[in-house]
Amino acid sequence: MIFSTLILNTFREAAAKKIFLGFFAISTIIILVFLFLINVDSVDGMVDMMESSGEEGVKNLVIGFEVAMINISYLLVITFCFISVSSFIPSMLEKGNIDLLLSKPVSRSKILIAKFTGGVLLIFISLTYLIGFVWLILSIKSGFWHIPFLYTIFWLTLSFAIIYSLIIFIGLISQSTILSILISLFLVFIVCPVLYVREATIFTFVSNTAVQFIINFFYYILPKTTDINQITTDIITGKKVESYMPVISSVLFMLVTLSASIFYFRKKDY
Amino acid sequence: MSVITTKNLSKEFSSGKFSKEKIQALNNFTFEVEGGEIFGLLGPNGAGKTTLIKILLGITFPTSGEIQIFGKNISDESYKTKVGYLPESHKFPNYFNGEEVLHFFGMLSGISKAEVKKKTDEYLKLVDMEKWRKTKIRKYSKGMLQRLGLAQSMLNNPDIIFLDEPTDGVDPIGRKEIRDILIRLKEEGKTIFLNSHLLSEVELVCDRVAILNKGVLIKSGRVDEITAVSDNYIFNTTEIDESVMHSLLSVYKSIIKSKHEFYYSTDSPEDLNKLIDFLRQNKVLILSITREKNSLEDLFINLIGSRN
Repeated sequence: MIFSTLILNTFREAAAKKIFLGFFAISTIIILVFLFLINVDSVDGMVDMMESSGEEGVKNLVIGFEVAMINISYLLVITFCFISVSSFIPSMLEKGNIDLLLSKPVSRSKILIAKFTGGVLLIFISLTYLIGFVWLILSIKSGFWHIPFLYTIFWLTLSFAIIYSLIIFIGLISQSTILSILISLFLVFIVCPVLYVREATIFTFVSNTAVQFIINFFYYILPKTTDINQITTDIITGKKVESYMPVISSVLFMLVTLSASIFYFRKKDY
Repeated sequence: MSVITTKNLSKEFSSGKFSKEKIQALNNFTFEVEGGEIFGLLGPNGAGKTTLIKILLGITFPTSGEIQIFGKNISDESYKTKVGYLPESHKFPNYFNGEEVLHFFGMLSGISKAEVKKKTDEYLKLVDMEKWRKTKIRKYSKGMLQRLGLAQSMLNNPDIIFLDEPTDGVDPIGRKEIRDILIRLKEEGKTIFLNSHLLSEVELVCDRVAILNKGVLIKSGRVDEITAVSDNYIFNTTEIDESVMHSLLSVYKSIIKSKHEFYYSTDSPEDLNKLIDFLRQNKVLILSITREKNSLEDLFINLIGSRN
């Protein structure tokens, strides 16, 4: 009961911040645009053309839409959700609020895990709304019910959860919303993409093995959201996923970061 | 029976994030709070009062020392189900209305939904906030937030209530109402731990007080005992004639204020009774004998002033 109260409070806080309403508004616009698109003649023509080239043509068209959708959702999740959830921990730690929370018969670990779970559930629901509706529209229009596209909800939620664990950790230590946003965006938009293409780009310029070792070291210890995004695309397009190492190591990163956050929160004086 | 016991409780803080310099917030603090009493904690700013409350509630951890609440070590968090707390400058999430604040914190206190609803109605009425229950708390005044905070602290029917400056920002009528609530809670057998700057208020409601300065306990005891001046009595009598007055001055070394009032100083009950016998023998009717008291404020200023 206490745990669900804390989770529901996270939802209330998110709703109060309006930014999630923005997320829902944009998701609704995207869904409406999809609804509009499937009724325009040019798309009808495109579908007819693909149908004439066989079932494979329709599948390719649908998958093409879905891949575009993953990238849109990924950007939406990062832009809206990170900015919104980054303030969850610093606002919880505000003097006068944290005192009251910690005076209740709730363990500190439970408070933190509820904050994490609440944030992740929120993103899961938001993504289910966006991806679910787009999938439904595409499926009804094309007659091609492509279930793997729904897995995107899970993969994008996982990407969010991994970075959210870091946001919580930074929020706890710095008690700063801005710093949490900056570090998480820097990681997702700069560090992860750069490390993802390190072999194809950086290593062509850097031949020093020590430097390469350091770059590889960071690649392996840091979360790999770009890799996970690529794995999601591969699953949808039916390509063979070469390795799930990025997922496993990112999940490990999440578990370690969460454990460190809990350890720090349990020891900290407020 | 003691409900709160601390033994050699100490707390050190670093003066800055990267500083090695330490600030001693509490220094070997030993005290007890009895069940069913209103206990006042006094001290100037930075004396360690809020730190002490936070340690007792597990919000801050002690550097050393022992704490027992309800006879149990506070590492066992179960005691918090029987504790209520109103922090100084509390900050409720501003997206809640009054009713939702009580619902949220009530649920966190581990009581059932039905009980929370029942208590919410009861306590909003008690603190006179019923008509504002649906108003967002960001529209509340400081006094209204204090009243709501007080209701929140009572919601789980606690055995001990910690109140940190409960009348802060509350108007005089509201303060009187809060005092009445505290007295009512005491009559119900609750223990109240009160931290307040308003010494006159503490004097009105508290049974016992502790005075803290720079983390050190400098005085504690019953309010009537620590404010009493041990050897000064004020006598109110019928008119005293000249010969009796002369004896009072020369034999008893009294200070005559008027023909109806004089002061007598003694630390001996025998001497006091001798004086009473003397007055009776001389047909002086005693209307009252009052042991002179200092106000808590006088005592506080004397104690803190002399130590600073």
